Amino acid sequence: MAEQVIPTKKMPPGLQVENVDDRIMTLNVGPQHPGSGHMRIIVKIDGDYIVDADPDPGYVHRGEEKMAESRNYITNIPHLERPVIHDSCNILYPYVLGVEDLVGIEVPERAKYVRVIAAELNRCIYIQYWLAIYGIFLGHSTMFMWPAGDRELLIDLMEKITGARVTHAYFIPGGVRNDVPANFEDVCLRQVNYFEKRIKEYADIFYDNPILKARTEDTGVLSREDAIRLGTTGSVLRASGVDYDLRIKEPYDVYDELDVHTNVLKSGDSYARSKIPWLDMLESCNIIRQALEKMPKSGSIRTKLKPNPKGREDEVYRRVESGRGSAGCHIISRGKPEPYRLKLSVSSFRNLIALPYLLKGEKLGNMPAVYWSLNYWPVEADR
Amino acid sequence: MSKSEKKVTSKDEDKKKSDEKAIGDAIIAAANARREELAKEALATRSNKTLPKVVKEKPKEEKPKESKPKEEKPKESKPKEEKPKAAPPSKTDTEEESLPEFEKSFVDKISSQFTGDVEVGYIKENRTRVNVKKEKILEVAQFIKDNLPFDHAESVTGVDFPEDKEIGVVYHLGSYTDPTYSKQVLALATRVPREENPNPGNDSTKLPSLRDMFYSVEFHEREVFEMLGVYFESHPDNRRLLLPEDWADLPPLRKDFRNKGR
Amino acid sequence: MSVIAPKFRLGYFLKGIFDNAFWILTIVTLAGIPAIQIVLFYLELPVIDGELLTAFLAFTWLFNPTMQVPLIKALIYSDLFRIVAFPGFGFAALIAAGTIFVERKMLAKLQLRVGPFYCGKVEGILQLAGDGLKLISKEIIIPAKADKPLFWAAPVLFVGTAAAFVALIPVAPGGWVVADLDVGLLAVFAVIGFFPIITILSAWSANSKFPFIGGIRALHQMVSFEIPLILSLLGVVILTGTLNLSEIVESQSSFPWIIFMPIGAIVFFTTMLAELERIPFDLPEAESEIVAGWLTEFSGMMYGLVQLGSYLKLYAFAALFVIIFLGGWTGPVFWPPLETELITEGIPIPNYAGDPILTVNAPGLPLLDQDPNEWVLQQQGELQYTSGQLLVSGVIWFVLKTVGVIFFILLPRGVFPRIRLDMLLHIGWYKLIGLSFVNIFIALGLVYAGVIGPGGIL
Repeated sequence: MAEQVIPTKKMPPGLQVENVDDRIMTLNVGPQHPGSGHMRIIVKIDGDYIVDADPDPGYVHRGEEKMAESRNYITNIPHLERPVIHDSCNILYPYVLGVEDLVGIEVPERAKYVRVIAAELNRCIYIQYWLAIYGIFLGHSTMFMWPAGDRELLIDLMEKITGARVTHAYFIPGGVRNDVPANFEDVCLRQVNYFEKRIKEYADIFYDNPILKARTEDTGVLSREDAIRLGTTGSVLRASGVDYDLRIKEPYDVYDELDVHTNVLKSGDSYARSKIPWLDMLESCNIIRQALEKMPKSGSIRTKLKPNPKGREDEVYRRVESGRGSAGCHIISRGKPEPYRLKLSVSSFRNLIALPYLLKGEKLGNMPAVYWSLNYWPVEADR
Repeated sequence: MSKSEKKVTSKDEDKKKSDEKAIGDAIIAAANARREELAKEALATRSNKTLPKVVKEKPKEEKPKESKPKEEKPKESKPKEEKPKAAPPSKTDTEEESLPEFEKSFVDKISSQFTGDVEVGYIKENRTRVNVKKEKILEVAQFIKDNLPFDHAESVTGVDFPEDKEIGVVYHLGSYTDPTYSKQVLALATRVPREENPNPGNDSTKLPSLRDMFYSVEFHEREVFEMLGVYFESHPDNRRLLLPEDWADLPPLRKDFRNKGR
Repeated sequence: MSVIAPKFRLGYFLKGIFDNAFWILTIVTLAGIPAIQIVLFYLELPVIDGELLTAFLAFTWLFNPTMQVPLIKALIYSDLFRIVAFPGFGFAALIAAGTIFVERKMLAKLQLRVGPFYCGKVEGILQLAGDGLKLISKEIIIPAKADKPLFWAAPVLFVGTAAAFVALIPVAPGGWVVADLDVGLLAVFAVIGFFPIITILSAWSANSKFPFIGGIRALHQMVSFEIPLILSLLGVVILTGTLNLSEIVESQSSFPWIIFMPIGAIVFFTTMLAELERIPFDLPEAESEIVAGWLTEFSGMMYGLVQLGSYLKLYAFAALFVIIFLGGWTGPVFWPPLETELITEGIPIPNYAGDPILTVNAPGLPLLDQDPNEWVLQQQGELQYTSGQLLVSGVIWFVLKTVGVIFFILLPRGVFPRIRLDMLLHIGWYKLIGLSFVNIFIALGLVYAGVIGPGGIL
């Protein structure tokens, strides 16, 4: 039992940790480090090689789960989207679905489509932000500015729908908070078409860049078996050749009525992990267009809830595919207006376990490329 | 301010400085001592303070206490919970036992293997739950790993049940490799005894770690350890993950840890 | 109640002033004036209008309108002017400032944003000055366990070495260079060799982990790229047979060496980017990996000095590329020959009948005076261009070419991500050294085939 199931990666000769203690330097990458985000990675390096990496999250831990136990099902909504404000619709999605199960209400058809559109737009917004940081982590400043600028298009669109630019709190149990504006279909279609044209240009400057390819290909390779065993999810999993997308595997709302394709790459390296979200954005544009076409042009967008609704005595575990991967919400209800226990099983926390495994034996220069290619959002992991 | 006062202060300045230094050292030493004390004893004192509240709540929550075991036992909770996601609750109350076949088949495999040690929590569409005794969790997990295509743990939820004096730990297992199982989430639940004055790592709140079966539980179990004080034996590093290193209070997700300002 | 100086007494204040005045006067009389006299004794002072210029005479002439132009001309031809202003530090710093401005605006346009905009009304042209002021006014923080003398010396040494590099760059024909050495190219290699030492010294003295890693990286990078840098320039040395940079430029009067040495030029350009730590090779300052590399602990104007040094270095490298491969100041001479009378007596503007009605005295023209003897020689057809003509058009060609090279140095910053240390070393040791040997063989082939060189076709 004491034997480690995951074998440590093959290290270059002469780098066995026990022999070279005096050569090892410990680096605190973070929390005050331009390449870490709100976390710390304690990295031990021997020359240019990382011999040990220990992620230390928790610098932005807010106790969302504890807070949720003392608030009722409606007042939980605004603070539960705070872990990932850039992906606020998707992180709220499983909670809203779970509460609908517990309270027992049905969602109007139009609201389901609006939800899907908002979720896909938000996925693009998140991935653009993530991609911008991935660009600057690799020293590519143009790739920092372009996604950050193009992201504004969709943020403006979300502002038109929800009234808020980033923290929408748009999904509520029973539907969505308010209807989309009058000429929404035309505006959305136009913006999304332009957005798709723009992100296709990223291939020219970033994804087909020879230096980028030479740098990120064959670094931080996560094999298919390890990706499954480590329980990774989302883009990390799909980059390793596992075809698993909850929008297809466990369709929620109206994803089963739409033609959703998933993007799978086989190589499992940093390059594949960084390319999958970009392909996801292109796929999101397709989904949005389909949803706009099939959306009922009029109708209710929300089923009225009783004030202070009580969930029945039950527990639900719902999950959706967020911008980073599976976002799950486990709600245990005891017939009260507040959940007895609420657990967010978020993809960043699940992907974090791959970080020390991937960084071992990697060069120090690959650290940002491997770290950020895990589609990791420190605030989400801390909750 | 008169001149004499000024003079007095200027004369006393040196004395004051030295005094201040001494006082500062004393304060620091006292603070350190206090901190150590806190680390040792704060748990006990804190829980003692909050104990009466729990006791007060107990009579109120007698009904949920009774209903909780109901929920755990399969026969009673089944008719309530088998309905599809979107269906309204009123509909399902009238329906009789129509458990989803596929889900029932693999849960039956587990329960027939470990009769007496495993009880079926619920069988719903795509979601199943088995409650396992604490001693058997390793064997059941090994059985699931070997005979069913569940290959990773999605999350580990710790739930505090102060009125049962137990802490529940729920492993949500999923499958990537088998497409027929890709919708399924098997909740593997167990209970460990709960102590009123927890001393994480050194009390009876212990559970064998499933890390060797499902590697992905490593960080989740670390989180449950710090948040609820469940020590996982044979876990390679039971260190804190999210909480600060000098946290010397109750595990925060226990029910008797009160939110400040709430 | 608080006052700024509670123990203020007028007597002490006056006493302080008198004390200061007394000591200053004493020191100036005993040490300052003798020092000035010793300096004046050894200074080689110019002869203007038949009179030896002394300090006293200079002050007198400064306020005499008729003598101002000869005085300034004498100043221009002095060594001090060359070091401080024209081919030396001031000129290079001006181009460096322009480079920073162009870099910001160009990168902003490339990245679909505006760049500096508000400071200075016109396209944020004063942003650099604002940044400089900010850096000067910031506190300089030195790590507690740093090796203070070395840590202080590093930025100054960096700027000094960069300025020494600038001093070797000839800008215009006729000896417009601070140090015109016969072994100019060797001196350049020697000066470049100082940079890794300064980098590793500053990194070591900061006594911090990230600067240390950055310094080691800089050392790796600079040392391994110095070899292809030197080898890639040897081809030109073989063809010209000289190490003097001015003579290398003059050898390219009909065609630049880049026509025969494109491989050498590519290798040199690549190594240049690495030596300058520009973006595909900015590993020593890799932000996301090692914070700011060897610059991490620098603050305030220490950081500003390092930046100034690195941009001076950028100008010097671009100028070296121009001198060796693009023909330096050579180019069509477009500046018209000016008669001596035009310059001294103004330009006569005739009316329709051809009678001069007024003369125009262009304020800058008298400084671009050429030798009256040269003018005569040119009229006789014995001299093609006067030195004034060559100076003006040469400087303009040189600046144009240098700005073009600088543009290409800046461009990769918007296009490429950073590469990794092992890739960098692989490029340096395998590919670039191999290519530079190919370049040398091409040069040898050209010489032995009799195309170029003594007695060659061209």
